[in-house]
Amino acid sequence: MMMGHGGPGRMLNTETQKPKNTLATLARFWHYFRPFWYAVALTVTLIIVATVMQVAAPVLIGQAVDCYLLPRDSACWYSTLQPGADTAALMGGLGGLVGLLIVLFVGGSFLQGLAFYSMNWAGQHALRGIREDTFDQIHRLSLGYYARNEAGNVMSRITSDTDTIQQVLGFALLSVVSGVLQIVLTMAAMLAANVPYALISLTVVPLMAWATIYFSNQARKAFRETRQQMGSVNAGLQESIAGVREVQAFNREQESIDQFRRTNAANRDANVRAASFTSALNPVLEALGYVAIAIVVVVGAISALRNQPLLGTAVISLGTIFVFIQFVQRFNQPIQQIATLWTNIQSAIAGGERIFGLLDVKPELLDRPDARDLPQIQGRVVFEDVTAEYKQGEPVLHGVSFTAEPGQTVAIVGPTGAGKTTIINLIPRFYDVSGGRVLVDGADVREVTAASLRSQIGIVLQDSFLFSDTVMNNIRYGRLGATDEEVIAAAKLASADSFIERLPQGFQTVLGERGGGLSQGQRQLIAIARAALASPRILILDEATSSVDTRTERLIQRAFDQLLEGRTSFVIAHRLSTIRNADQVLMVRDGQIVERGTHPELLAMHGAYYDLYMSQFRREEEPAAGGEAAPLPA
Amino acid sequence: MQAQMNPGMRRGQGQPGAPRGALGRAIGYLGNHRRSVAITYGALAVATAAQLAVPQLVQNMIDAVTAGVVPGASPDTGVSLVINASLLIVLFAVMRGVFSFAQAFMSQKTSQDVAFDLRNAIFARVQRLSFSYYDQNQTGQLMIRATDDVERLRIFVAQGLVLAAQSFLLLIGALVVLALTNWSLTLVVLPLLPIAMVLFMGFGKVTQPLFMIIQAKLSVLNTILQENLAGIKVVKAFTREPHEVNRFDVAATDLMEQQLRVNRIFSFLFPVIFLVAQIGQAAILYFGGAQILGGTLNLGEYQKFSLYLVYVFFPMGQLGMIVALMAQAAASAGRIFEVLDAKSEIADKPGASELPQISGHVEFRNVTFRYFGSSDPVLKDVSFVAEPGQTVALLGATGSGKTTIINLLPRFYDAAEGAILIDGHDVRDVTIDSLRSQIGIVLQETNLFSGSIRDNIAFGRSDASDDEVIAAAQAASAHEFIMGFPDGYNTKVGERGTTLSGGQKQRVAIARALLLSPRLLILDDSTSSVDLQTEHHIQQALDQLMRGRTSFVIAQRISTVLNADQILVLDKGQVVASGKHEDLMEDSPIYAEIYSSQLLGDAEPTAAM
Repeated sequence: MMMGHGGPGRMLNTETQKPKNTLATLARFWHYFRPFWYAVALTVTLIIVATVMQVAAPVLIGQAVDCYLLPRDSACWYSTLQPGADTAALMGGLGGLVGLLIVLFVGGSFLQGLAFYSMNWAGQHALRGIREDTFDQIHRLSLGYYARNEAGNVMSRITSDTDTIQQVLGFALLSVVSGVLQIVLTMAAMLAANVPYALISLTVVPLMAWATIYFSNQARKAFRETRQQMGSVNAGLQESIAGVREVQAFNREQESIDQFRRTNAANRDANVRAASFTSALNPVLEALGYVAIAIVVVVGAISALRNQPLLGTAVISLGTIFVFIQFVQRFNQPIQQIATLWTNIQSAIAGGERIFGLLDVKPELLDRPDARDLPQIQGRVVFEDVTAEYKQGEPVLHGVSFTAEPGQTVAIVGPTGAGKTTIINLIPRFYDVSGGRVLVDGADVREVTAASLRSQIGIVLQDSFLFSDTVMNNIRYGRLGATDEEVIAAAKLASADSFIERLPQGFQTVLGERGGGLSQGQRQLIAIARAALASPRILILDEATSSVDTRTERLIQRAFDQLLEGRTSFVIAHRLSTIRNADQVLMVRDGQIVERGTHPELLAMHGAYYDLYMSQFRREEEPAAGGEAAPLPA
Repeated sequence: MQAQMNPGMRRGQGQPGAPRGALGRAIGYLGNHRRSVAITYGALAVATAAQLAVPQLVQNMIDAVTAGVVPGASPDTGVSLVINASLLIVLFAVMRGVFSFAQAFMSQKTSQDVAFDLRNAIFARVQRLSFSYYDQNQTGQLMIRATDDVERLRIFVAQGLVLAAQSFLLLIGALVVLALTNWSLTLVVLPLLPIAMVLFMGFGKVTQPLFMIIQAKLSVLNTILQENLAGIKVVKAFTREPHEVNRFDVAATDLMEQQLRVNRIFSFLFPVIFLVAQIGQAAILYFGGAQILGGTLNLGEYQKFSLYLVYVFFPMGQLGMIVALMAQAAASAGRIFEVLDAKSEIADKPGASELPQISGHVEFRNVTFRYFGSSDPVLKDVSFVAEPGQTVALLGATGSGKTTIINLLPRFYDAAEGAILIDGHDVRDVTIDSLRSQIGIVLQETNLFSGSIRDNIAFGRSDASDDEVIAAAQAASAHEFIMGFPDGYNTKVGERGTTLSGGQKQRVAIARALLLSPRLLILDDSTSSVDLQTEHHIQQALDQLMRGRTSFVIAQRISTVLNADQILVLDKGQVVASGKHEDLMEDSPIYAEIYSSQLLGDAEPTAAM
């Protein structure tokens, strides 16, 4: 019997993706299952036994009819009672049979439960293995990979793919296997009883299969449309909610409501269309089931009543008719279930294929086999004729050479896209050069281990990334072994202590996702404290361009000054004071250093730096008599 | 019997204590679709009746066979009896098929209609909620209400209600038939029913909270994943890979163990539920068998009884599912109506008049304002007057009340005390539409909407002609870059469209405000990082925009402040100084301080230049 009308509809409403190389992917899956092979073997054994028990039950009920209720020795093989036995003997025999039936039922249920659990046990363990490998791989991939593949996409791929796999691993896989077994065994039992009778009774099964495939395919197509429409509905909602202030400011409420109404209506219509297919499948299968019963009874009855062997085999017994009625009802449910779950299994294989694809991406920046640890450094950084490219043949840096002596501050200026960020990304070896060398204390960064190199470099990015953890732990990220006192000292150094103490739980305040709840300036102060705690010899800073309020701005400035003291520092500079204080200013344009020197030297050149500076300066200076300069553009 | 689990239950999240009335109210939305509802339930009644008739028809067939095998009966009569009975059952099968299709389809259709109504209602509500509502509620939450919550409610309306009706009909019908067929055999199975009932109902209750724990643990895992992807540079920079991998492994194991805990319960509870029904079948085989041997029951009746018994257990399983659905739907309905019932404090007064064409005279008269739930006012007794055509620069630290002042003008909020007068009209006395249509606003964070650039410029005046749109774009220094796109003004922006840079967006926003040719202008001129040339373009566009209009500007640029007719210096919600630059430099130490630190930044006199 079937349960519910909504099940298949919902199950069909999943993205169908056909895997490209099923066998290879299954082999990869097996790799994760292999350590738990005994659980898999147990599952398979249990499910076979349980299904046999399930199929045996109607056979036993048929025997109850043929041996005890309407005894006909020709059809009875279960009992040795002679015809004409008294009622008490018949009841005794029936009691034994019912007892056996209950044992079958209980045993079958128990084994099925056990099979379900052992399947899930193996599946969950395998899934954990896949998850952990994926997570490892995320960290092995270089930043170059994330420049080409947006992190958000990688994220949703991983979560949705593991989710599809997870859905299939336990229940669906088991259901399909036991469904197939059930169909095969039921057919076998029918054929064993009487071949022609079985074949005639089974005539509707192909029809059932066809109906299932047809309606499922149609529904799937229709659901593809609904997904698109739902996407539009979500986009419409998202946009209006995000832009509600503008909608209200411009009196656009009514137009926007009307527009949403249209999108919403299209979504409804697509769903109703899909519903016409999902609603049809169950009734059709059910009706075919009744037709099957009619066929079984008519064909069986003709043989039984006329006492004619069916197509030269044997006379159909009442008990056989009885059992066949039970048998033919056992097809529609597994057929339907396999149809719906098959989609999920295909999606899971496709999902696995993508995850394994991710695992197969070769990390570009692994430590060399002979890489050594970089000893404690002084902080001398040398670029020797460095060329870098993100995409083959499109260099973003060419022929960049400079030397930063220990303790020097190097300011890097230039327009957006000039290559400033690329330069600083090469020092901790986030990317590899395509030509030339980057040397730290004389060692090529490619010849030392990444961990020993990066642990001596501190980085403060423009958009500071914080974890949803306490403030304390976010700062401690700089050095995991640091004590609370050291963390607080670092916060003081970064001038972050005063605002942290005003937070509801001070240093123990748990930040929202990505540091939510703090202003950008405050996030940067925490990031500075984090870098300070690591107390690196080399420091890389990306000054924030967006406006933060005055007080925070000054705090950040002070923190930067503190941090820069005595360390080799590279600053992507937006502030004049930074540039002024730098020991060396590198003016970068089109991937090359076009000018270098101190601020006064560069101005004296009357070149690119002078132009950049003057254009900004002149505009701001006009009204102000004193002649002031605003922050330099990025 | 094959266990069929509803995969939807995995995601279920019932919330206890949801308002009971909400579900009833949601069901009330069916009232708009009476015809569809009538067809659904009419079809349901016929389909269920047909379903109830089937075992009787099967019995007829079997009776025809058994009557035929009795010695002496004519086989041909028997055969024709069987054929007739079979034709009848096929007829019923078709009828049942047609009506159960009608029932399933119509219930889906009705539920889609209800979801359509609910989404429209939510959307309309969301569009008109006041700013203070958005201050207190996360937009992500609103999305969930309009999507997930509506869907959950829809499933309940489509499946829950209809299946409940069907289950009750079937259950009662089957029990009646059972009792009529053979009441003594009915008594045998009766004790099993409460057991099944408890199991079915209890199943959802036991598993629901466990699934919620799984969801929670899964989201812990996903947060780690998310953070590591978004913050990959930080992780790499601090070489924290081993630490993160360890954190993830712990979370993954934790999730796995919870999954297995739930599976353990599932593995044993689920088969037991079906076992009860199977035991029922075994019991009637034995006791029915006794009756057959005793001659009080025949085989056909037994078969019929056995089929009706399925009809008793089957609806009970469904009812168990429906209880789970209902708990979720009630929680969802509660959340939906929370949005629909949210009061917008900002609404037209009864009898509000249209604000006539204004000249742009603005007065704040002793205005005090505090945000919802806060006792500290963000504006305290603020008074000032702006004459038509003046430019007013607002200056002060973050949180000093600059944004609040510009939010009060178009009545995004209402003042707690005092009044805001435009051309002598209290903004609360005029209609919101007539007020806002005369105010142009350029916010710091510009939202564009999906559609063409033209649509976005004509956002406030969809009836504007192409020439007007182009003129506005030219005035906003936007025409040039727009024409640089292959599709010019028809270039699609927003989702699936061209991405505009921050500076380009801002100029489109300026054009959008210009097109209204408002008398009153509100600007937040702080630009996020844009390159020098863009900066220059924006400045030009803003100058153009402010000419001849009363303008309120949250000032970040020196030039704006220097050109302002009036500078309001705000500190902790109060106007601490006002006047022109030259006067303030002399009289106001606070201004001098802000001027040197905020506007000049770290710039030093560049005499060397």
